[in-house]
This record gives sequence, C-alpha cells and structure tokens, in this order.
Amino acid sequence: MFRNRVRTLLLTGSAAVASIGTAQAQTAAQNTTAGTSISNTASVTYTVNGTAQTTNSTTATFVVDRKVNFTVIADQGGTKTQVNLGQTDAVTKFKVTNTTNGIQDFFLDPGQSLIADGLVTGIDDFDMGNLRVFVDSNNNGVYDPGVDTRAYIDELAPDASIAVFIVGNVPGSGTLSQANVNLQVIAAAGGQANTRGEILLPTDLNLANADNTVDIVFADDDNDGIGVDLPRNGQGRAYASYEIGTRNVALTVTKSALVLSDGVNTLNPKSLPGATVQYCLLVRNATLTASANGVQLNDVVPANTTYVPGSITIGAPGGSCVLLGSTEDDDADDATETDGVTASFNSTNRNMNAILGTVGGGGVTAVAFKVTIN
Amino acid sequence: MYKCLCVVVVAAAIHASPALAAGPLQVESRVLTEQKTRAADGTVRVALVPARRIVPGDRVTFVLAYRNTGTQPIGNVVLDNPVPKGIAYRAPAATSAAPDLSVDGKTYGPLASLRVATATGTTRAATPNDVTHVRWRLERPITAGAQGQLAFDAVLR
Repeated sequence: MFRNRVRTLLLTGSAAVASIGTAQAQTAAQNTTAGTSISNTASVTYTVNGTAQTTNSTTATFVVDRKVNFTVIADQGGTKTQVNLGQTDAVTKFKVTNTTNGIQDFFLDPGQSLIADGLVTGIDDFDMGNLRVFVDSNNNGVYDPGVDTRAYIDELAPDASIAVFIVGNVPGSGTLSQANVNLQVIAAAGGQANTRGEILLPTDLNLANADNTVDIVFADDDNDGIGVDLPRNGQGRAYASYEIGTRNVALTVTKSALVLSDGVNTLNPKSLPGATVQYCLLVRNATLTASANGVQLNDVVPANTTYVPGSITIGAPGGSCVLLGSTEDDDADDATETDGVTASFNSTNRNMNAILGTVGGGGVTAVAFKVTIN
Repeated sequence: MYKCLCVVVVAAAIHASPALAAGPLQVESRVLTEQKTRAADGTVRVALVPARRIVPGDRVTFVLAYRNTGTQPIGNVVLDNPVPKGIAYRAPAATSAAPDLSVDGKTYGPLASLRVATATGTTRAATPNDVTHVRWRLERPITAGAQGQLAFDAVLR
C-alpha cells in the first residue's frame, strides 16, 4: 500500500536531538501508567468538486510499557546504628522509593557486607547474627517487632516510599567494632495485594513483541556507584553499619554508712564501741545506652572495725540500702552460688569483694555489709 | 558533541491496520519510535520503527499518511489530529510540513500565538506541553493517485 521511504538525515549535533526528544522533568506519578493504551485518530475534511466530505484516519494504538525504576538508600541520617554486645533486634533503616510508572512489589534480601569504598566508613570486623528484613507495614518509620513482619514490599505505588529495616543480633562476646550490612532490592511484579509477585525480567529487546502487551524495561541507575549494583538491572543496593562505639560508661560508686544499733539508744543509735554499722555501696551506671559488664567492687573494711560474717547482701537499691537483696557467703568458692552475683570477705587483707556482673544502662546495683566498732 | 551519520528509515507500516473507510481520501495513522543501534564502526543507526516498546519519556512520531485513491482532485484538505492523552507535543517531524497548533481545539495558529489561561485568571504563553490539537491545511489539492505524509514528534508523558 505504501512505498518504503528511505531517507538520510545528517544530524549535526546532540543538542538538536535532546531539545525535542526529552520530556520535561516529571515525577513517576505523572508518568503514564504502564498498560495504558494510547490511540491516535485524525479527522479529515475535504472537498471533491465543491462537495464537502469528511472522513477519519485509521487508528494507531500502542500500549505504554513498564519503565521499572526505583531507588534504595540507607535512611540513617548518615550515622551508624550504635549497638552493644549481645544486643538483639538491632535495626538499620533503609528507604525504597518506587519511580516506576506503575505499582510494584519488591523482593528484599539483607546481607553482610565488607564494602567500605566511601559508602560507609570504618572497618567491618564482625557479622550480625540472625539477619532479617522487615517492611514498615504500619508506616510509622520505626521497627515494631511483631507488627512489621512482612519481608517484601507489597504494592508500592508510583512515587511512594516505604521504610525497610534490617534487623540482626550482635554477638555476645569478642572485641568488635563494626558490622556493615547491605540491602538488596529487586523489582517484582505488582498487581496482587498481599502476594509477592515474581521477580521481573526485562523483555528481550531483540524479541519481536506484540503491540498490545506491556513490555518490561529496566531504567534503574547504578544504585551504589561502585559496580556491585549495575544500571538497568532491576536491582538496587544500599549499605549501612552497626557500630559498637561505646567503650566506657559513667560508672560511679557512692558509699554511705548507717549505724544500725549501739546497744544503748533505741531510736538514734550512735557510733559507740560495739555498735553495728551498715556500709552501703551504690554502683550506678549513668550511661543509658550501654551496660557495664564484669563489674567487681572491692572495699577494705576500715581499721578499728570488725566485719560481721555473712553480712554481705546484694540487690536493687531500696530501704536502708538493699531491698530484698541476696544473701552471700563469705568464702571465695562461688561454685554453690546460683543467684548471678557472688561476694567474699578476705579476713587477711580485710577486703570485701563483690562480683556484680552486669550493671545495665541507667541501672543501679546496691551492695551492703556490716561491721562492728571495736 | 558527537557527529554521526544517522540514517533515518521510515519503515513501512505493515502491521495490521483496520480497513480504510470507503472514499477517495485514505488516511492512515501510524505511531513510530526511534530505535538506535550502534554499528561496529561506531556510527549510530537510528531507525523509526512502529511504536511497540514505549515507556514514559520516550520520543514518538505520529504520522498521517494520505492518498487519493479516487479519480478526482481532492481540495481544501484539513487534517485535525487531537493529541492523545498522555502524549506531549514537541515539534513537527523533520520531513513534515509544520502544522497549526491549538490548546483548545478552537483557535489554531503557531505556538507563539497561543495563550493558556492560568489559575489566577490571567493568561500565559503556551508551551508544547499545552498543545491539544495538531492541524494541517493542505494548500494544494491532492491530485488523483497522489500521496504524502505529515508527522509530528511527541513524547510519552
């Protein structure tokens, strides 16, 4: 019906191409949705021998294809997540934004990472345990255990963003400083709520394809810029770090003495010879974010006093010193101890030793013992 | 800036199209898009192919190919092509006569003469994005058996 027309055209520069070939900057939501059918028909008027006539052109139709594009970034304000040994469910936060011209699902894959390369600073020297990934299902920007349980992004609308959390456990021991993690995001087919779609594959550019199908075209950038992620692969990656940055805590000990009885006065006992005095030691960790582990307390019983055997008690502060504290024996053999704290009194050097173990962030442990005045 | 010898091939639109209306003037609408392939010698070959893989931001060319199949000349031919939804007009195609444009389907003229009402009650100069209709008036009658084509470039929003 129509002859083939072959023309040659000398384009003198790229500017001329760009000036007419690009759309104005617009957001994904303004993009024409994938699957939209676009039809073009012209109406024609003309005259033949003075008689007006009208006709229409044929209709040309094509279907808008899916331009898969999205971004994934670490959403931590440029900081590392501060963690402590043994911490569980430590969170790093990411943000995924869908810039596809259609609703998308995204498959999420958390991983350990050694990558530094300016993306994250510091040396990765340990791995997080039990690494998991969760989507911020209730959209409050905070990981809520038991609420944010979905491990893939479901039905993310064009231009919409959602937070994704990598959650992991810090090893309980070791000299550790930093663990890097990465979140890999892979575009998957949307369209069915509460179901993770299949991972998208780009339509083969060499395959002839029907006009009435929605082809998949990857348009995503190299998300990390270091070659781990590649442009136009339907995947993205971002990196974040966990750091054990707290190396010391504000640990203080406050000591006070209280005369319990002097054998003479009932109401206000005085420090008379023979009086029983309770020493109270409050071990306070003023750092809220980190526990002090392996805390030991040593106190030499003052001269001119005699330690009251079996008088050491350890526990939460309250009452005259310790409220409902443990009762500790005086020997150094801790094999029979089951309450987690141990204590001993060395009669040779008159040293009271209390092994308190862990004093939590913001926590206080009280130790009391008694002496009599010689 | 690169210089390349680009070959534009206006492909024959051989994909199925609905039967043309009876009448001496047959007008076929086609949508074409650029397909760039880089040859081994570094030249870029740009072919216009039927629009099949189109995503937002892609350039498309709308073509109206007309032909007088009758025995009499056809005069006063006016082809009015409403710009489809989702399409932003850009420019006349390189090989086509320049069309008149309209932002309302009533007033036609060069883009520079068109104005658009704003939300504040004033008007501003129209941009290619505002164009809603593209219209060609053929100066001369189409003689019997003659044919030609008109085209404009656009972008998928």
